[in-house]
Amino acid sequence: MATPLMQIDRVSKRFELSGGRTLTAVSDVSFSVEKGSICALLGPSGSGKSTILRMIAGLETLSSGAIRLKGQDIDGPGQDRGMVFQAYTSFDWLSVRKNVEFGMRINGLSARERRERAEHFIDLVGLSNFIDTYPSRLSGGMRQRVAIARTLANAPEVLLMDEPFGALDAETRWQMQELMIEVAGASGTTMVIVTHDIEEAIFLADKIEFLSSHPGRLREEITPDFKPAERIRNKEQLLELGGFAETERKIMRLMREEGRH
Amino acid sequence: MSSPKPNRRRRLLQVRTPVSPMQALISSIGIWVVFFGGWIFATSMGWVNPILVPSPAQVFRSIYLLFANDGFASDVLISVGRVLFAFALACLVAVPTGVAMGAFPAIDAVLAPFVSAWRYLPAPSFIPILLMWFGTGEEPKIALLFLGVIFFLITLIADHTKEVRKELIETAMTLGAGRSITVFQVMLPAVLPNILVAMRQMLAVVWTYLVIAEIVASTTGIGAMMMRARRFLHTDQIMGGIIVIGALGLIFDRLFAVLHRRLFPYLQDSR
Ligand SMILES: Nc1ncnc2c1ncn2[C@@H]1O[C@H](COP(=O)(O)OP(=O)(O)OP(=O)(O)O)[C@@H](O)[C@H]1O
Ligand SMILES: [Mg+2]
Repeated sequence: MATPLMQIDRVSKRFELSGGRTLTAVSDVSFSVEKGSICALLGPSGSGKSTILRMIAGLETLSSGAIRLKGQDIDGPGQDRGMVFQAYTSFDWLSVRKNVEFGMRINGLSARERRERAEHFIDLVGLSNFIDTYPSRLSGGMRQRVAIARTLANAPEVLLMDEPFGALDAETRWQMQELMIEVAGASGTTMVIVTHDIEEAIFLADKIEFLSSHPGRLREEITPDFKPAERIRNKEQLLELGGFAETERKIMRLMREEGRH
Repeated sequence: MSSPKPNRRRRLLQVRTPVSPMQALISSIGIWVVFFGGWIFATSMGWVNPILVPSPAQVFRSIYLLFANDGFASDVLISVGRVLFAFALACLVAVPTGVAMGAFPAIDAVLAPFVSAWRYLPAPSFIPILLMWFGTGEEPKIALLFLGVIFFLITLIADHTKEVRKELIETAMTLGAGRSITVFQVMLPAVLPNILVAMRQMLAVVWTYLVIAEIVASTTGIGAMMMRARRFLHTDQIMGGIIVIGALGLIFDRLFAVLHRRLFPYLQDSR
């Protein structure tokens, strides 16, 4: 097997708190992410999911261990690791088109290339009719689409998402999940998604890293291999698959055990 | 009625219940009608000394005469010029300083203790020393107006810049932005609407210091005219000066409102 695109190698993170105390948020976590795959980080609140994602993004330093992308140690944030946050991050002073072009502009792509790529990705997330609109006019789900298109258009090696649909209503959320399957298929982008939502993790991920809390450790790696090799696009289809209920039950049990500590 | 709660009769004072446009119009005109009505009534009934409290008609007539005969327009222009010059100077210093403080904690750590200490020193207390340093020309006046607002303006802009959401900055960094792009293309545009609001608030304060500067040591400008009028007991001219300053303040405030709408059209639909 070829070496994975990204390796998280025995990573720990300690935060210095006031009064000289330290808090171990992530302890000795290792996993790898294959090129083109979707990996979900799942676990109870405080299990260090966001911290791991932020370390991958380069927004947080490591206390020990290493994160390697294509064999290179990561060093600070960079365009090869795009991030989508739960909070809205649209640049309100720019139109949807200019938002999506932002990364490409600062990275020196030509105007023509920018326009073509922006239009392609805005179309992919279904916002062609809003291309010259200001984000403040859009709904929450549409703004997250802008953020996703903006990150993808910048051609990152990995797309990192921290509970990107957490603030959306249930219907918009599964529409966005189906959109992510479509986007992953169309762009081949590798993704790491942090979520609380068990169904979301099973639907999207090729591999689920389940973390336990206090300190955040890797508890179990779950491969939902009941899913067919070709990703399913409808959430109903997922629910109909034999094996879904069993996987969900297994994760729920893990969650419940975590809750007892 | 199916509603369990009885539909209460609308009362005049309802907590947080918006008024109709008609009521708003009547209310806003009404308060001025009452004000001027009371003034006219008091003066025409002879309840007040006409030398100390002239009638509105007399005040407006003297405003006209000031402009028509006494070259008041040049005083007004001089005052406006002082305000705008000093304010532009203050903005030129405060915007880069405030944004730098808001963007870089290392700069904030140096300047914040300094700037916030100066805020507690009343600018007019510098008048004697400004007069000694600069004489009685334009310099001490500009210096007073500048000192009166600069520290507040810096603090406001720095605070607004610190409020730019972390996720916005981190998004820029994960898109590949370095320091200068993060500051100039994300933090600055994000904070600009609030900078304009801070400027609008502080411009009103500049007018306050203008009057102080012109009353204390000046032969030109609106404040100087008012001090001259005092010597000749021209209360109508003094009140005329007050009204002109008020009108100018209002005009500049409206201009800022228009500028805000023009510069930031994307803010119109967000609420
Ligand atoms: N900047 C920080 N300083 C100090 N402690 C922090 C910091 N960031 C996170 N922590 C702590 O680290 C632990 C893990 O936090 P993290 O946000 O990674 O958890 P999470 O799994 O994302 O939780 P949630 O599901 O609630 O988002 C928590 O106990 C949190 O309080
Ligand atoms: Mg989190």
